[in-house]
Amino acid sequence: MRKRVNTEFWMILPALVVLAAITVFPFIYTVRLSFMHYPMIQIRSPEFAGLENWIRMFQDPKVRFYWWVTLKYVVGALSCEMILGILIALLLNKIRALEDFFTTLTISPMFFAPVLVGLLGRFLLHDSYGVYAYFLHQVGLFKGGSIFGQGTSALLALIGLDIWEWTPLVIIIVLAGLKALPSEPFEAASIDGATGWNKLWYLTLPMLKPVIFVALIIRTMDVMRYFAKIFITTRGGPADATKIVSIAVYDQAFQAYRMGYAATLTLSMLVVTIILGILFVRFFFGQGE
Amino acid sequence: MKKGQAKLSWMSKLGLLIIFGIFLFWWLFPVYWMVSSSLKVEVEMFTIPPRWLFKPSLGNYKNLFATLGFSSYVINSIIASLSSTAIALLLGSLAGYGLARGKIPRKNDIAFWMISTRMAPIVGVILPLYLIFRKLHLVGTLQGLIIAYTTFNLPFAVWLMRGFFMEIPRDMEEAAMVDGCSKFQAFLYVALPLAKPGLVAMGVLCFMFAWNDYAFAVIFTSGKTQTLPVACARLMTEYGIVWGQVMTTGTVLVAPVLFLGVVIRKYLVRGLTMGAIK
Repeated sequence: MRKRVNTEFWMILPALVVLAAITVFPFIYTVRLSFMHYPMIQIRSPEFAGLENWIRMFQDPKVRFYWWVTLKYVVGALSCEMILGILIALLLNKIRALEDFFTTLTISPMFFAPVLVGLLGRFLLHDSYGVYAYFLHQVGLFKGGSIFGQGTSALLALIGLDIWEWTPLVIIIVLAGLKALPSEPFEAASIDGATGWNKLWYLTLPMLKPVIFVALIIRTMDVMRYFAKIFITTRGGPADATKIVSIAVYDQAFQAYRMGYAATLTLSMLVVTIILGILFVRFFFGQGE
Repeated sequence: MKKGQAKLSWMSKLGLLIIFGIFLFWWLFPVYWMVSSSLKVEVEMFTIPPRWLFKPSLGNYKNLFATLGFSSYVINSIIASLSSTAIALLLGSLAGYGLARGKIPRKNDIAFWMISTRMAPIVGVILPLYLIFRKLHLVGTLQGLIIAYTTFNLPFAVWLMRGFFMEIPRDMEEAAMVDGCSKFQAFLYVALPLAKPGLVAMGVLCFMFAWNDYAFAVIFTSGKTQTLPVACARLMTEYGIVWGQVMTTGTVLVAPVLFLGVVIRKYLVRGLTMGAIK
């Protein structure tokens, strides 16, 4: 018996050691950094700053604004992705024969590198030769100027790019959920004379709740985490209108060279992520099995 | 019909097809536009209203690989992505098996901790790694980039491989051990081959995460070590954006992962929801 334990322990050990080295150690480093003034170009040597970075973060109205932008971006992208994704999945579920064909075609945006999605967005929405911009002009939805040059339209465009790229993921998640639904409740409801809409509202959607929740949390975390798309299109501008917290951290670290303050902002993001992560794990994997 | 659905009439089927058609157009148009732009000569790219018929030319591809030397960036991307995938799969399948089968105290806590490292904000991972790598002279090297990619691919591989191994019945491994196999041999010759489809799918996803990365690569590589996404973004210069080359690089960037992704599409949901939905 003792031997078995040993084998498996040795199997886990390499991954454990590597992960500790590349994630735990950097995490501790980040916490330490948040209590320091640490200019990246070391004209001055790093010095202990106490709680200065933390106090600054809580007092900085800009930080609140970055979170506000993040919230708008997350809610805007997520609400459209979820509604659209669920609707399309429900429809696709009706035509089983074509399902594989359609999913194969719709998943393609997910494989685009975020940076490429941003570049494509710039190309398609360019004020003088963008096809989408031309189309929007023709329809009369957008008049004049550059789409990425104005705060509201830039944020909407970024939300649009995210919807384009990630709605397919919501679709395939919901489809997987639909396939796993038991058929008995639906048969019983049919015998009782329930209409299609009744079944959708009182059976399908409530039973899909956990699946929808998974999609929601995964997408929320990813929308907050990934910033390449914004980085390559607006870099947070114009006038910070698209500066989500990730971009703000990047700017503090690699533009303003305030590594200590950037670390503090990072940790505040981490707190939000941890809350989401705990929700995710608690709901879907249970504890301890 | 399954699930008590009423059979759809011919008309509503047509209606659904039209709705899908519109969405498919929306999803696929940018893909078409990118690929077709890469095959256009500069003048035709910027014609507004767009010209739908054009003579395809491979000029952009020739230019990119023969003149601008993009093949070295492709090679960098392949080296970085494949190495981190190999590390993730090797250590990940070992640890995943250990966590699925072993009698190890608090093994579920260990597994949860591992996957939680994957959820950390990307900038939050880049920031300390950058300062540490600077001290170790790893900034600007592919080795550094491979280590950086391992921070997200290894937890991913451990977690999903653990899930795959937990689904394989123990009986066969136990039978092998009765026949004199060691625990490790049972893993190598019995469990691992059974988990092969999952292993392959996870490999593709790990490769994709690394291949598509820009955020890490733009910080950790420079000059000769830059990867394809970084080189693609560098085509934006002060004088403007060389769109023909951007679209060509984009096509080269998307083609392999799109192909691989479609091949493993049955595992996509599982991989991208970190195993929450199978």
